[in-house]
Amino acid sequence: MSVGKFSGWKGELYYKGEWQEALFEKCVAVVGSRRMTSYGERVIEKLVPQLVNEGWTIVSGFMYGVDQAAHRTCLEVGGKTIAVLGWGINETLDASDQILGDQIIKSGGLLISEWEDQKPAQWTFPARNKIVAAMAERIYVIEAASKSGALITAEMGRNLGKEIWAVPGPVTSAVSAGTNWLIKTGRAKMWVPGESISRGTKTGDLYILLQNETLTVDELVRKTGRSVQEVGSELTMMILSGEAAEEEGKYYLVE
Amino acid sequence: MLVKVKSVANVGLESYGIDVEVDVADQGFPGFNIVGLAGKAVEEARERVKTAINNSGLDFPPKKITVNLAPADLPKDGGAYDLPIAMGILAASEQIPSLSLQASIFYGELSLDGSLRSTKGVLLVGLFAKKGAVFVPVESANEAAVVEGIGVYPVRNLNELVDHLNNVKEIKRLSNLEIKELVDDVSVEFDLAEVAGQEQAKRALVIAAAGGHNLLMWGPPGTGKTMLARAMPGILPPMGVAEALETTRIYSVSGLLDPGESLLRRRPFRSPHHGISAAGMVGGGTNPMPGEVSLAHLGVLFLDEMAEFPRSVLESMRQPIEDGMVGIVRAAAHVEYPASFTLLAAVNPCPCGYLGHPRRACKCTDKMIRKYRARISGPILDRIDLHVQVPVVEIEKLAQNSKFKSQNSKEIRNLVVGARRSQEKRFGGDGIYTNSQMRNKHVRKYCKLDGEVERLLRMAVEKFDLSARGYFRLIKVARTIADLENSENIAAKHMAEALQYKQLA
Repeated sequence: MSVGKFSGWKGELYYKGEWQEALFEKCVAVVGSRRMTSYGERVIEKLVPQLVNEGWTIVSGFMYGVDQAAHRTCLEVGGKTIAVLGWGINETLDASDQILGDQIIKSGGLLISEWEDQKPAQWTFPARNKIVAAMAERIYVIEAASKSGALITAEMGRNLGKEIWAVPGPVTSAVSAGTNWLIKTGRAKMWVPGESISRGTKTGDLYILLQNETLTVDELVRKTGRSVQEVGSELTMMILSGEAAEEEGKYYLVE
Repeated sequence: MLVKVKSVANVGLESYGIDVEVDVADQGFPGFNIVGLAGKAVEEARERVKTAINNSGLDFPPKKITVNLAPADLPKDGGAYDLPIAMGILAASEQIPSLSLQASIFYGELSLDGSLRSTKGVLLVGLFAKKGAVFVPVESANEAAVVEGIGVYPVRNLNELVDHLNNVKEIKRLSNLEIKELVDDVSVEFDLAEVAGQEQAKRALVIAAAGGHNLLMWGPPGTGKTMLARAMPGILPPMGVAEALETTRIYSVSGLLDPGESLLRRRPFRSPHHGISAAGMVGGGTNPMPGEVSLAHLGVLFLDEMAEFPRSVLESMRQPIEDGMVGIVRAAAHVEYPASFTLLAAVNPCPCGYLGHPRRACKCTDKMIRKYRARISGPILDRIDLHVQVPVVEIEKLAQNSKFKSQNSKEIRNLVVGARRSQEKRFGGDGIYTNSQMRNKHVRKYCKLDGEVERLLRMAVEKFDLSARGYFRLIKVARTIADLENSENIAAKHMAEALQYKQLA
């Protein structure tokens, strides 16, 4: 089993993939809740491509939810990503995780673990978080409940003097309670996206309504007073042209 | 003395004439025997008939009685032969004139007190008779009254019938019921306008009704999926005379018509629970009885929480969905029942049901959700053209700024009838009636897409990663949407709307 070391971590680490020092030069961690909402997913779709463009390696913890979305989005835009596992490197993954793991390796990334054979347990995840915190120069917390592993990662990173960023979320959302708390208490800087390119030419009533919130077809029908068939076919056109996207029946604008 | 009485045996929806031969012999040891492949219920007719005759104050002859049900190789079951056997015994013992039994059919189950109980399959008896007189239990007699050219006599009890045949006191025959009047005079049971909000789901129902498409609704509990499904029969075109007779036949055989009811006038709505067995769904039993798919014939079959149905049950529905009929093979018989229905299914978005709910938290893991969704088998999903989300309705939002006015079922039904008419015209000689029945060759023949629509569709295939099946499904749905607008060609907007109802990834 291959072992490797990176500066900033004393022990040796087991890995799968091809170990290249360059991978560790500019790392950023994108972490968050297992229970990701569509909001979290959209934040990741905005943030991760931007980071990849700036040349960062995306580090995360390979759990479903925010972690895997970060890995996946990174791969989609052609970036490199490191998955730090909360269990031994030789544990079998379930089918869909295996597919993602293979993709990470194929694209030049790494799967990393502190252990060779170790079942996932309560204590293994905080231990994993320590590696994530040590590896990254910056840590972005996307969504996190008030008692979340992602907060532990952020705290460890803070103690190591890393730059912590948190994404503000709705004050009513449980999975944004942790991130909002990080910002409120000054533990993290607040991340908001940079200037977005506005499309001044769009004036349709659906476009205007969707600028402010995500809406279902029914809500759009009620607000515009137009027929379902009209609204529906217009929304399809917006999706096909890439102006809008749909998630669990709700529509939003894509910038 | 030997007497022959005519009766009828129903095997599935087929009827066969039965001769009930009764011999009352003076010689030999007194006894009562039934031969002719009689089932358990027919064997027991001995006790019912004997007691009923005695309790009616008539004479049960203490002689050697032999009953033969011919033809001997046709299996017979049920209590319907009680009445012909009793009449045979009474005639053979000269308590009624045996001439009076000619050209008449007797059918009905006896009670121990001599009265007649409602009996399954009376409509089929009437249809089989074609002419002459039919004596059937009073509670089921209305079923046969819709058949022209026969005299239907509702019999209350043995005494009444004996008096009638002895010309003492006549039983009044039922007057013929006009099916057309019965069918036309039907109101809508559930009006679609009663469902609050859910405009997109309602639209999907309209498309489903217009093109005969099957529909799957995704959504958390309590969002009105069941209400929507219940409103479906009301927006389907009204039943024609032939259709009404066809569904009533199935219900008559199953014994599901209410006493006194003559005809099913509304399209049936069946919603079996997910504990149902495969035999309950497609039909079964030693003498195969219709299952839910046949009881929903020409109507709506609603499967609530479809993911909870056992896989074997869903798989068994493939033939009926595809062919509009179901064949059941058992030792006793091979029976075919019609089963041409619109399938409506409702599925929760995840096992706990609250994924995507604005206020309640979902407790399911990713893996559970994936596993749950995989439970609905691909072959069934392939036969469902329309998929729609039924989100939680936030009442306070409904009340505010509702500029939208819902149509009621009657208005919608007119739209649907119009769309069906265009389809009938289009498919004239092709042996299909609705867009959903189109095969790929029909799609190529009747759904010409112009450049713009073709481009749109190609973009969609790319963007949503549609399969070849998904591609044809989309065109069929777009064709129905165009028909609803009475449009000759499929326009880009029709295709764009159809894409709203594609299968969820």
